[in-house]
Amino acid sequence: MPEQEHHWVMVIDLDRCNGCQACVVACHAENNVPTVGAEGVVHGRAMHWLHVERFWEGEYPDVKARFVPLMCQQCGHAPCEPVCPVFATYHNEVENINAQIYNRCIGTRYCANNCPYIARVFNWFDPEFPEPLNEQLNPDVTVRRRGIMEKCTFCIQRIRRAEENAAAEERPLNDGDVQPACAQSCPTEAITFGDLGDPESRVARLVRSGRSFRLLEELGTEPAVVYLKEGDVYVG
Amino acid sequence: MDETVVLMALFRDITPVPDMLDRLRDHGVGEQNMVVLSGIPYPTRILGRPMVWERLPLISLSGALVGLLIGLFLNIGTPLLYPVHVGGQPLIPIPPTLVLTYELTMMGLIVSTFLGVLWESTFPSFGPKYHHPAIADGRIGIVFRCLHSREAEIRALLEENGAEEVMMPEERVL
Amino acid sequence: MSVEAAPLAWPQEEAPQEKLMLDPRPPEEMNEMVLNAMKKTGWRYWTVVGGLALLVLIGLVGAWGYQILEGMGVAGIRRPVYWGVYITNFVFWIGISHSGTFVSAILRVFRAEFRRPFTRAAELMTSFALVVAGMYPLIHLGRTWRFYWMIPYPNQRQLWPNFHSPLEWDMLAIFTYLVGSTIYLYLPLIPDLAMARDRSTGWRRRLYRLLALGWRGTEAEWHHLKTAINIFAFAIIPVMFSVHTIVAWDFGMTMTPGWHSSIFGPYFVVGAIFSGVSAVVMVLVIVRKAMKLDYFLRPEHFDALGKIVLVFSFAWTYFFFADYLTEWYGGEAVSRELLTLQAHGPVAPLWYLMLITNIVIPWLTLWNRRVRTSPRLMFFITFSINVGMYIERYIIVAGNLTRNRLPFDWGVYNPSLVEILISIGSLSTFILLYALATRLLPLIPVWEVQEGQFAHSLRRIGRSLVPSITELD
Repeated sequence: MPEQEHHWVMVIDLDRCNGCQACVVACHAENNVPTVGAEGVVHGRAMHWLHVERFWEGEYPDVKARFVPLMCQQCGHAPCEPVCPVFATYHNEVENINAQIYNRCIGTRYCANNCPYIARVFNWFDPEFPEPLNEQLNPDVTVRRRGIMEKCTFCIQRIRRAEENAAAEERPLNDGDVQPACAQSCPTEAITFGDLGDPESRVARLVRSGRSFRLLEELGTEPAVVYLKEGDVYVG
Repeated sequence: MDETVVLMALFRDITPVPDMLDRLRDHGVGEQNMVVLSGIPYPTRILGRPMVWERLPLISLSGALVGLLIGLFLNIGTPLLYPVHVGGQPLIPIPPTLVLTYELTMMGLIVSTFLGVLWESTFPSFGPKYHHPAIADGRIGIVFRCLHSREAEIRALLEENGAEEVMMPEERVL
Repeated sequence: MSVEAAPLAWPQEEAPQEKLMLDPRPPEEMNEMVLNAMKKTGWRYWTVVGGLALLVLIGLVGAWGYQILEGMGVAGIRRPVYWGVYITNFVFWIGISHSGTFVSAILRVFRAEFRRPFTRAAELMTSFALVVAGMYPLIHLGRTWRFYWMIPYPNQRQLWPNFHSPLEWDMLAIFTYLVGSTIYLYLPLIPDLAMARDRSTGWRRRLYRLLALGWRGTEAEWHHLKTAINIFAFAIIPVMFSVHTIVAWDFGMTMTPGWHSSIFGPYFVVGAIFSGVSAVVMVLVIVRKAMKLDYFLRPEHFDALGKIVLVFSFAWTYFFFADYLTEWYGGEAVSRELLTLQAHGPVAPLWYLMLITNIVIPWLTLWNRRVRTSPRLMFFITFSINVGMYIERYIIVAGNLTRNRLPFDWGVYNPSLVEILISIGSLSTFILLYALATRLLPLIPVWEVQEGQFAHSLRRIGRSLVPSITELD
């Protein structure tokens, strides 16, 4: 069966995000992302594939918190790809995402420097999963060793599983079959995931909604993460 | 057939050397039977010797061509063998191809020039050869092979004309 | 008031100017001088060598080994400053490596006669600086033990390297330059090695015999050698330009603020020659004093190099300003942030120090011939220039990475002890290699000096004796 091309897109509704960070925790759990402890975070060694950026706006008492969940934008023209000397990161033409092959990576960190979203993280040390975290390691995802670059994969293992399930049931992949960990865990349902190639998918409709924009769009990186924003929502 | 003998004449100054080479030719020493040793390079035109036909530039150019082809193979051949798409760039992008092709061309040029100069000078060759340590002290040596019968007159001629010493050189293992 | 005419002083027979080494000594004496300088090793020398070896052990075996075993985390680099001191050192040493080629090849191509005694000292720097620079891409790799995956060869992983990547260009360019500059060092060395072979015994004779390849000095050998040196002098110059240009493109090809600049290629090349020639001066001052080579290395050489340094200080300033003004005038918000960081932020003291060492000091001092001919002053000036050029690379590499377009991910970078130890270790590697080479290889290209002295003469023109040059070939 020829592989069907997809154009996976994540839509994040900033008007819905309340900065609860459930997605961050879910991402760590799903993708075997190690934690580094408070000191590691202070030293800039946090490994979050997805982090919620928080910006304060205004002066007290009229203060607003803005939350922007940020992860690898899965760029169509990804700046990280051409600079890698060993093809550890490249454009997956079938899923239309930016793939990261851990086994090929030699750790030049060039991709990380060239990422305008600073979305990539590096394994500064061998990962540690102190008790009881080791009990919940996801068997579908490799644990990366030290010296390797990694980043959000759009939960490629979940995409693959959904595709396999659909193939086993001899049906096409339906909208909503694939749900990354962050989208699944979001209590306000701010994150939607789907195939932009299907014009009737939820993400396609949201992208057309008129509220959509993409981060640093002017750089021409063609991100596959679309943000929605309209109202002057007061949060916090 | 007459016996031949190898002689080495050491000069302190370059001035008499070209004349002496002429006189040696007059005395029946063939061009291929004499060689000038020196501690600093004197061009053949100063010595009045036939030009050395130089194949080195040709060797260098061929090396550069090989480098160019290797560069083109790496840039154009390998992506066709194992296509991987990156960053929305074409599989065979022209501008980066120029960079690496240039670099490998220069690599070919450099390596072949080095191998060429070794080849042309038949280096390395440590075998016994006529040599004298005084050459590096600024002496200019003419090593030549002449007929045994003419040795005496040639010796006298050279010594009269500024040769410091005329001797039977030893073949030294270099 | 009567005007008393000063007695007209006719210039007397001028003493031959201190130029072009116009006081030739017998070749055998010069050979002896060079060989003796090479064979003399006192307790001071061995103390220095021992100390350096210890520093190399601590830095490259100890600190680097620790980093390999523990992970890159022992370095100070962090998100978003993924490149720090290691890449700064890399660029710095690549810059130093431009010394040899510039001083030797360009001066050779233009037949600058003053070059003769110090070409080899400069060429040695090129090769050793490249060795040190070449270690850094390995040191900075997260998985150093997989470095060979960058080398293009058919492999069982069925994957060739990515030739789109500037790092791949970098690797091949540096390798080409290392091969080229080492051969370029070696070719003119052959006649001197043969000279040393004929005058030494024991292990030295065996070593020189092997390296001299059986050189005798026949016309044909000289002819081929001269042709090859000539081809090399021309070929190595574009390679030199390409190497530092490609190093600059490592930064220029990215879309990182402060890096994405089309001027980086020539800007880096000029900076590299600036620091490289300065480093040549430093090395010459040291070897001249330590090995008592006053006969060969003279004030006229420092004078000439001082002029080159001054010209490249002008050129560097020009490129620096062109880059700065462009960022200042029309840059994005993040560019303004970077410039503010340099002017008022934590790197500001370094930035101002760089302006002083790279612009103020050379401009105020090097126009003066008396300064240029003083080895001691030249040492301090060129040392400060190299400090400044190191700072320049540090600010470009590590400074610019601390700020980026999304302000949530700004960070502060401070080098860690491991990074500092490795840096000291690599500096010691360079000095150690150089110190050993000064005792193993004839540091002065004797035959070239002798060729020069044969070609140079004093010619009487009117009432003065002027140095003149005979073009032999």
